[in-house]
Amino acid sequence: MTSLLQRVKSDMAIFAHRKARGMLDGEYGSVFRGRSLDFDDLRAYIPGDEVRDIDWKASARHGSPLIRRYVAVRRQTVLLVTDTGRNMAAAARSGETKKDIAVMALGVMGYLAHRHGDVVGLVSGDSGGTTALPAKGGEAHLERLLRRVDSAATLNAAPSRIEDQLEHVARTIKGRNLLFVVADEVAASPATSQLLRRLQAQHEILWLTVRDAGLVPDAPLLPPDQVPDSYSVSGSYPLLAHLGRDPAVASAYATAVADRDAGRKAMLRQAGITEGEVAGSRDVVTALFALLERHRRAG
Amino acid sequence: MWWWLLPPAAVAAGAAWWAAKRTDSTANARRRPVAHADRLTLLQEYQAALRRHRRWLAAALLACAALLASTAVAAARPVGVTTTRPEQHNRDIMLCLDTSGSMSSADAAVVDVFAELAAEFDGERIGLTIFDSAAIQVFPLTDDYHYAREQLKQARDAFDGKPGSSGFLDGTWSGRGSSLIGDGLASCLNSFPRAAGQAGNRNPGGTQDPAATQDSAQPPRSRSVILATDNFLSGEPIMTLDEAAALARERAVHVYALNPGDLDYGAGPDQPGAQLRAAAESTGGAYYALDSPEAVPGVVRGVEETEKTALSGAPRAVVSDEPGLPLAAALLSGLVLAVAGWRLRP
Repeated sequence: MTSLLQRVKSDMAIFAHRKARGMLDGEYGSVFRGRSLDFDDLRAYIPGDEVRDIDWKASARHGSPLIRRYVAVRRQTVLLVTDTGRNMAAAARSGETKKDIAVMALGVMGYLAHRHGDVVGLVSGDSGGTTALPAKGGEAHLERLLRRVDSAATLNAAPSRIEDQLEHVARTIKGRNLLFVVADEVAASPATSQLLRRLQAQHEILWLTVRDAGLVPDAPLLPPDQVPDSYSVSGSYPLLAHLGRDPAVASAYATAVADRDAGRKAMLRQAGITEGEVAGSRDVVTALFALLERHRRAG
Repeated sequence: MWWWLLPPAAVAAGAAWWAAKRTDSTANARRRPVAHADRLTLLQEYQAALRRHRRWLAAALLACAALLASTAVAAARPVGVTTTRPEQHNRDIMLCLDTSGSMSSADAAVVDVFAELAAEFDGERIGLTIFDSAAIQVFPLTDDYHYAREQLKQARDAFDGKPGSSGFLDGTWSGRGSSLIGDGLASCLNSFPRAAGQAGNRNPGGTQDPAATQDSAQPPRSRSVILATDNFLSGEPIMTLDEAAALARERAVHVYALNPGDLDYGAGPDQPGAQLRAAAESTGGAYYALDSPEAVPGVVRGVEETEKTALSGAPRAVVSDEPGLPLAAALLSGLVLAVAGWRLRP
């Protein structure tokens, strides 16, 4: 079995080549300021770095922007929170399994944290129970976290309930941490909203939504064999895709999905949580970059 | 007929049902798992579409079941059992026509009445004998009605005096005298088959009826003579009318007399009409004036009454295929299935 972390790294390398090397690290460092005032060294500016970290004198001498680096004294704790219930074994918008996208996103975030010198923990589970892995450093630990997520989220797992994991965090985790939540399109509810506000008061939360598969064919006139029938992981009853060709059903579905998305976004916004969306594993790094960027601007 | 086909059909339907219920567990392998299906399933529109889909599925299922049931029933060859009375070829009717000069004005009308009588009877054998001083059998007892009609038409032509038909009456004057009614009637009686044992041998319908061949070799045939004469005797007959009537009684032949003249002077028993009436009624027959409106129905009724006593055939069950109803049901369910299949296409 190839290392899950290896895949994460290679994806990040591709991204780094496309954009600029280290840009993600810059974003991460800007977001999670966990450094002391002890100056370590200078390095070249990369887009995404805080402007106020630029050593202007050194830059003037050097001719190009330089960034001051400090020795991190306080190790941050990044807590990866994800759902490993049955829902995550279902299909995502891109057709992949949602779990794969979640593992990729968790891996990128965990690896960024690891490179920054932070420790990474995991809270995962389903409605049957929540398990927490303590925050540690090191690639091996990160690999173990990803393996845990990868092996737990199967179609035989218990039904999903991300609220249970969030409650577990609220109940057991002390101190201020960085929460990185990967979930699917959860429905907004007053209880969840309250829970999120409670968590946001203690922690700093980034929320990544893995888009669920569309249940109605996007193009109504697609040939039948290109519209796979689906079944629900919660009840294993079939969904007949061709019924979605009915224009009434298709328009009602579009309205319902828009309402649901709007409700979730409103809930997260009210709680002060930055949300990103990812539809497939190809754009995990891009989506994470956009999420960090948005969070930096907001925060 | 082949009712054993139905249990296999039922078993096949049961097996199909069982297989359809069973494959449900692996059907999801071809489908992709999705989460939050309530995004779609909670929609009113989807539920309505699903109900429509289910209704069509139920219709298709019913049509399938009906198709299977009706074709299985059709394949099992349903039969209808109808009870019919056996073919009634057990009446013999001899038409006996006096062609003497006194009758010449009425013979055409008599032949018309005979033709009418021949049309009324069905399943009998009829024959025609004409007589004046001697009797000629025009055609013997036959159930070939087409031939009988043809002969009666020829007789009609002859009495109307059509050219080329004069030979019809040849041979009826060879005897002594004229209009020998007793001899004519006796000749008619003789043209019935001699014994009851010989009479039915040529009847192929009788051999099909097992009941008839078992309890008696031949069903008794009722015999009737329809005698058209004015009973104006001129000459010395070998047998008088009374003797001929006695012979008829002996042979159990009913004589129905049709008198075209009926010109009795008074009501004396020696008048020709009265003698004829007495002779006819003594044999169990009846007497009618030719122009009487009751003549034809009366004769027919009388002959058919004699037939009742002679009828001994037991009712027979006729078994015939009746695939019409199941096949129509199969066609109808096939149409419903086609429509449902069109509605259910993905």
